[in-house]
Amino acid sequence: MTDRIKELLNTLRSKEYRKNRIEKTWDLSNFLNLNEYDKGAYGGILMLENETPVFIKNDEIGFYRKIKNMPPIEWGETARLGNITPNYLKLVGKGLIKTKEEIKEYIKKANNKQKEFYNCELNIVNAMEKIAKKYKNAAKTECPKLYNALKTVPFNKAESFYEAVVFVKFIIYCMRCFMVDHITLGGFDKYLYSYFENDLNNGVKEEELFETLENFFLSINFDTDIYRGVQQGDNGQSMVLGGRKINGEYEFNRLAELCLKASYELNIIDPKINMRVCKDTPFELYLKGTELTKKGLGFPQYCNDDVVIPGLIGLGYEKQDAYNYTVAACWEFIIPNCGCDVPNVTSLNFPLAVDKALRKYISKADTFDEFMGFVKKEIEKMCDELIKKANSIVFSKVPIISLLIDGCLENGKDITEGAKYHNFGCHGVGISNAADALVSIKKLVFEEKYISKDELIKALDADFNGYTELWHKIEGLPKCGNNDDYADELMCTIMLYFSDYLNGKKNQFGGIYRAGTGSAMDYIFEAEKVGATADGRKAYTPFASSYSPSITVKLNGPLSVMQSFTKFDFTKIINGGPLTMEFSSNIFRNEYGVKKVAQLVQWYILHGGHQLQLNAVNRETLLDAQKHPENYENLIVRVWGWSGYFNELDVRFQNHIIKRTEFGV
Amino acid sequence: MGLVFAIEEFSAFDGPGIRTTVFLKGCKLNCSWCHNPEGKSLKNEIIKNNNGCLGCKKCIEDTGFLTEKSILKCPKNLIRFAAKEYTPEQLAEKVLKNKDFFDFSNGGVTFSGGEPTVQYEFLVKCLKLLKNKVNRALQTCGYLEEDKFKVLLKNTDCFLYDLKIIDNEKHIKYTGVSNKLILNNYKALVKENVKHYARTPLIPTVTDTEENITDICEFLTDLGENKIQLLPYNSAAGAKYHLINKKYSPCFNDKIQCNPHLEIFKRFGIKAEIL
Repeated sequence: MTDRIKELLNTLRSKEYRKNRIEKTWDLSNFLNLNEYDKGAYGGILMLENETPVFIKNDEIGFYRKIKNMPPIEWGETARLGNITPNYLKLVGKGLIKTKEEIKEYIKKANNKQKEFYNCELNIVNAMEKIAKKYKNAAKTECPKLYNALKTVPFNKAESFYEAVVFVKFIIYCMRCFMVDHITLGGFDKYLYSYFENDLNNGVKEEELFETLENFFLSINFDTDIYRGVQQGDNGQSMVLGGRKINGEYEFNRLAELCLKASYELNIIDPKINMRVCKDTPFELYLKGTELTKKGLGFPQYCNDDVVIPGLIGLGYEKQDAYNYTVAACWEFIIPNCGCDVPNVTSLNFPLAVDKALRKYISKADTFDEFMGFVKKEIEKMCDELIKKANSIVFSKVPIISLLIDGCLENGKDITEGAKYHNFGCHGVGISNAADALVSIKKLVFEEKYISKDELIKALDADFNGYTELWHKIEGLPKCGNNDDYADELMCTIMLYFSDYLNGKKNQFGGIYRAGTGSAMDYIFEAEKVGATADGRKAYTPFASSYSPSITVKLNGPLSVMQSFTKFDFTKIINGGPLTMEFSSNIFRNEYGVKKVAQLVQWYILHGGHQLQLNAVNRETLLDAQKHPENYENLIVRVWGWSGYFNELDVRFQNHIIKRTEFGV
Repeated sequence: MGLVFAIEEFSAFDGPGIRTTVFLKGCKLNCSWCHNPEGKSLKNEIIKNNNGCLGCKKCIEDTGFLTEKSILKCPKNLIRFAAKEYTPEQLAEKVLKNKDFFDFSNGGVTFSGGEPTVQYEFLVKCLKLLKNKVNRALQTCGYLEEDKFKVLLKNTDCFLYDLKIIDNEKHIKYTGVSNKLILNNYKALVKENVKHYARTPLIPTVTDTEENITDICEFLTDLGENKIQLLPYNSAAGAKYHLINKKYSPCFNDKIQCNPHLEIFKRFGIKAEIL
């Protein structure tokens, strides 16, 4: 890390720069008279027109926010698209001027609706050009190096790695001004590689390119406190490194390695690193990944190409698109450049489905198999309800993204009208809790007849108060995560009910539904709707986060967990949602520990796991941070699919992290 | 039947590769720095976690004391037996469930404790059952009869062998037993050429003295040995004493940092690794 980068990191940590931001009062009186495209662009154009250049000492990338508050646009009943990996090269490789010329050509042959679209795009590009010019003029004295780059980009195509990186930052800045949340960085190592390689060939030193890279990483952290999201930190700045190429070869290029290194050195929450791995990934890379895990940032997250790619192809994605996959804000697999999937449109609450089946139908079931028939019926009914609701969602237009999606300008259509893929993803929440509850019902009600059907429901209604012995009995039953087929098979069964039923279901765009194993924030929010469940979980307490054992289960250890959670054929449930495991930070204290964790990760990938997220945590540290937040300004933890500052999290999420089983040494 | 007070998957520092460590009850030594106090006794006592106890006394309302049945009444689930009983076959089966990881990483099973050789018959049966199926390591203090140790030598693939204190009087003072058997068994281990790691827990002012480290170096050098693993004292050692309702009272000042004396090991040409 160079001195300049060190200084810049200190500036970021001090948060002083935030004080220079201003609040603005917005006049939105024109909004209602606009067409739907212009409505989608209105707030962003207003922002860009009102923004002024901000320079941060030691920074050479630029494009920071002066205005704190966005225009308070009411989207009404419409939803706002996010979780997209745009085709950055569409602008970076062309420049704004040429893009404008192309749009002007398209307009000539456009129908009236398309004209509205193209005019809107022209207005956007003009606004982008205007703010870029302002920056250029100001940079002349503020940052000569940046000034030099801004003579070329974003007006014309980037010629060097540095210019390309400045251009990417400019795009991110504009997207955020247009209130596009969760715009991801995607395969940064791949789409910028030719610039990187070209510079090296032209004699630019790798250290210089690395400094640019670190500056870029820092630069995307400065404004995350004013990004929109469910929780601060949940901002979608994921990066996906390495992967199988379409010819089948695995590649993790030099730029990808430097990205890992930059993330390791800087210790900041963005970008959130994902590593695409597979059978051919060398062990060395798992070691590097584990070194990064050791930092406690909650990444890298591993995605298994050998499962994800066939899974996506199975869902109907074209081969080249499946090979190109990236991840959304958390872990949902999405298609960059041309996809408009909404991978988190809704979530199925598994424990609720089991609970409903128990209350409505158990009296009618003579055998456990019959009862499972009712569980299946209930899951399907809930899916129908979720689909009905999701299929009525209207998405507001996002012409800023359309500029960067293949086929939109070419066809005169917004991304919400004319992307290649319009599929929906449905999370599966509380899968292990639901399966554990089924274990209790199968064993205690049907096999051992330890408790009657009515009595079990009574115990749940009483939140197990007065039923302590039953509760202990339940605790001793097989559980998901302990490598016991009795529980794991039930988990696989309900996952199949879910994915089989969604298979073939269509949304309003003609797209499909994809089943997933993620929970997002719903392991807390959905759990707050469900009383005590037959797995012994007390009323309204959290479910397991994503695809993990329930947090109340006494686990044998990580080896059993991994075996339990690799029994399913994940190509059938490939919306995404990782097995999440916490390790005591102690385990990483020397090379032996690091190597063993890396071996564990490799085992998981070789045995068909789809996605894995490891955390290095120290329970004592977290408890102390709750008591003395002032001492832990920079403590970063993984929350659900993203990392954030511990101090800034809602206390319910803090508590869940503390409760998750931490595997020690 | 054997009394097992913990089975820990993925114990990272108990031998090579990914391992499962089986903790057997019972120990004949009495080291005041022991961090597994619930593993010392050969009795399967009831242990209670006082963290989170509501003080409702439901656990003793029937008879006035804790019984097998009464502990189930704890609404917080804080009371349990210290150990579970296993037959050698049950234990072997449980361990082998993770065989795939062991084969993948050149790991295996490690028997620890307590002191695993205290349940000698059970241990030997387990080791024999696991022969040729999985790498078997034994984490031992080496305090047992020489003929018994010879049987273990034949049935163990790797020893993690504690060398605490070389001076016999001090050994008696701090552990309650003579180290004569311990040092002799170690010599037998070296002679039989069974794979092993000598390990010294670095207990401040007890084992980490200049004198003792020098003694250890001389002992190893005389046997032609040139490596050792050091386990620095962990201040969390006292964390579990409340479970057996005892106070952790180490016989040394545990605020002092331990000193690995790496310069002494270096002087003897012994490669010392801190775990």
